[in-house]
Amino acid sequence: MAGNDSQLSRRSFLKAAGSATVAATATSSVAGCLGGGGDGGGTLRYGRSAHSDTLDPQNTTSGEVSKVTNQIYDGLINFTPGEATLEKSLATDWTMDGESVTLQLREDAQFDDGTDFTADDFIATYRRFVDEDYEYHFEESSVYGPFTLGNWIDSVEKDGDYTLNITLTQPYAPFLRNLAMFAAVVMSKDDVESDFNFNQDANGTGPFQLDELDNANGRIRLTPNDNYWGDGPQVSELLFIERGQNSTRAQALVEEELEIIDNLDPDTISTVEDADNAAVESGQGINIGYMVFNQSRVEAFRDTRVRQAISYAIDTQSIVEEVYEGIATDANQPCPPALFGHNPDIEAYPQDLEKAKSLLEEAGYGDGFSFQLTTFQNARGYNPAPLPTAETIRTNLGEIGITVEIDDRQFGDYLTYTGEGRHDASLSGWYTDNADPDNFMYVLLHPQVESPEGQDYVDWGTEGFNTSNRAAWANEEYMSLVEEAQRTADQSSREDLYHEAAQIAHDEAPWVYIDYADEVRGVRENVSNYTVSAIGGPHLHLVEVE
Amino acid sequence: MVSKRFIAKRLLLLVPVLFGVATVVFAILHLSPGDPALTIAGERASQAYVEQVRSNLGLDDPLWEQYVRFLRDTAALDFGQSYQVQRGTAVSSILVDRLPITIELAILGQIAGLLFGLPLGILSAVKKDTFTDHFTRIGALAGISVPIYWSGPLLILLFAQIFGILPTSGRISSSYFVDSTTGLILVDTLLEGNLAAFESAARHLLMPVVVLGVYSMAFISRMMRSSMLEVIRMDYMRTARAKGQGAKITVMKHGLRNAFIPVITIIGIQFGSLLGGSVLTETVFEINGIGTLLVSAIERSDYPVVQATVLVFAFMYTLVNLFVDITYSILDPRIEQ
Repeated sequence: MAGNDSQLSRRSFLKAAGSATVAATATSSVAGCLGGGGDGGGTLRYGRSAHSDTLDPQNTTSGEVSKVTNQIYDGLINFTPGEATLEKSLATDWTMDGESVTLQLREDAQFDDGTDFTADDFIATYRRFVDEDYEYHFEESSVYGPFTLGNWIDSVEKDGDYTLNITLTQPYAPFLRNLAMFAAVVMSKDDVESDFNFNQDANGTGPFQLDELDNANGRIRLTPNDNYWGDGPQVSELLFIERGQNSTRAQALVEEELEIIDNLDPDTISTVEDADNAAVESGQGINIGYMVFNQSRVEAFRDTRVRQAISYAIDTQSIVEEVYEGIATDANQPCPPALFGHNPDIEAYPQDLEKAKSLLEEAGYGDGFSFQLTTFQNARGYNPAPLPTAETIRTNLGEIGITVEIDDRQFGDYLTYTGEGRHDASLSGWYTDNADPDNFMYVLLHPQVESPEGQDYVDWGTEGFNTSNRAAWANEEYMSLVEEAQRTADQSSREDLYHEAAQIAHDEAPWVYIDYADEVRGVRENVSNYTVSAIGGPHLHLVEVE
Repeated sequence: MVSKRFIAKRLLLLVPVLFGVATVVFAILHLSPGDPALTIAGERASQAYVEQVRSNLGLDDPLWEQYVRFLRDTAALDFGQSYQVQRGTAVSSILVDRLPITIELAILGQIAGLLFGLPLGILSAVKKDTFTDHFTRIGALAGISVPIYWSGPLLILLFAQIFGILPTSGRISSSYFVDSTTGLILVDTLLEGNLAAFESAARHLLMPVVVLGVYSMAFISRMMRSSMLEVIRMDYMRTARAKGQGAKITVMKHGLRNAFIPVITIIGIQFGSLLGGSVLTETVFEINGIGTLLVSAIERSDYPVVQATVLVFAFMYTLVNLFVDITYSILDPRIEQ
């Protein structure tokens, strides 16, 4: 795999869906912007629902934090704006051959503080993240340390200042995508080996530099990094502004106090749509919302026919269209359509109550049964309305004689509860980490332990069991397909393997596939060249404000 | 005058109060659902990783050990580091950032309440059973009855969204970045001599202060009225009038001072509830004071922040009450005994 990812052309439809650029029409609406200066000049104000709780990309799994750090830091590899493909960043060329990865590095990159970027900086970054023997190892480093790098890397060595040789613990096809994740961005070795406060300060090679972190008012001000190696930024000032409530965020956009907002729900979408100075831009998301059957706990769920019956009974189409008001599409397999592992030939289970009843009858549950459905209370990107979703499921299943008791919990509590496998069934969901099918199909449905003889599930307490597989599903055929795909470097062979695995995951129905949510933003009309990105973004250095 | 002994005794009483509060908060946090280790580790984490986070935080130690450690650190004014709200930052420094925001709001709310509440209460008492009195009383009743989470959004809807003359939320426009010297934004903008920023801050604070002020005004005017009515009937008031003193002077000189004592109590309690009310006001107007800090810390199981914030609330509440008691004994020296 070299330079630019080969799936670029095939995913070009994504570009159409995702590159929602806004036509620039000059109006008098620039009032309120700080004028002039910089390259293109002007201020870009990005409104979001929460302030950053840290500026350290190794100390968080939060997408909110990455929105800011992605402006300041660069990865070795980046995601192309609006696409699930890779592009050059601090590495200008790379090869992956089995367990060996070689990267050629850029020689003209500098950190904000003026020091040159070299291979040593990546090595220090990597060691801070995962190497416990390193004097400057960061003990509170996030789970992305082991999850994306530590578990897969055996050694990192440099060959001169601008070549990196990485040896993997096993052939691992998604590795380059892991390097493109926000958590793997490169810090300066000088900072890592000093008492630099990464939580409150930042020094990267990216297009912007930190000017002010204003925790008291939930604001962050960035200014252009004069040393930046690439194109942009196009504005002289970039502000991230916290507006917690969706309605006030949308209102602030319409009142021209912000240029771009994210995290829109159906209500706020209509506020933006009704305004004549802003528009809603959307792109295909890389996520999935689903309902898990906990097979380790509920005996009825171990029968494929029961899971299929429930899949036939739940009207996912109406959930997506009525409950989520069309800001999502209904799902039919674990991997979302934006990724190459998605099998386009699979169709969602249509609602068919007769078929559902006869499958239940066949499985010996003709008189129905009951289970508890655990859900979180507040909206998440992949599930804009968890409680109404649960209500719909309860109503649908009531029609085939299954009694559902809804158990709603605060998110933290929900995570603990389902993480300990105490749920019968739960509403769940996933955002991509690295835009690779493996991140859905292996991470969420492979138990990472052997499948016990003669059964399709594992016991929750099994040593080493991957609790992200909240269904405790362990289908041997599926497992060996996704394992093989993980080891296969050739893109088209991987694609075939995932398509086959997706068919099994659809037919065996370890989850009820509910939705793939869109990425939706509100954008003012004085903004141009903004692309809605599901991963690696927002790419704000390209954005112009008039 | 207030004796030092009285103050010392009251300050000493702070210790058991804060100890009690600390214990209750600790117990509630550790008994309620939600696991900080899991919240920090996130959905991606393996069980082993969660365990590691738990042990890093010392959350796998026996509860009594954690409790002793917490009390020891708190006594040394070490509130630890935030788990989540501002990762790895000392809780004390977060509080230094956030506390002035809430205090500024509460003080402004209290001032607004007094400024309108006292004259209205006096007026109402002096003009008992007239139209002015009825109007003021109904207004006060309405002011007490309307919850902040209703009046706040209503004002936002009216003045920000329909008329568009005031900003919806926050403390200052995004165009102004002001150095935090005192943490009080009105003071800081003036210290920098930035009048435009001051105006922006004042416009942002207007609605939250009105919301808090209305609530406190309503209470104060009701209390002032009833207390004043009682005092007006007193013999010494009649004596003063009989000696030929004018009605206004009698009310202001003899009446006010005596009628003030119960009102001071109310003001004290009020200030406490203004701090509490700031939780709602700050949430509605999206102001990052300790009210919103507490809410987000609870949501994210950030134990150190919740513990410290609740202790600060308790400390301030107790301190205000002490201050009220001192004021009493200045107004009426008999009370101290």
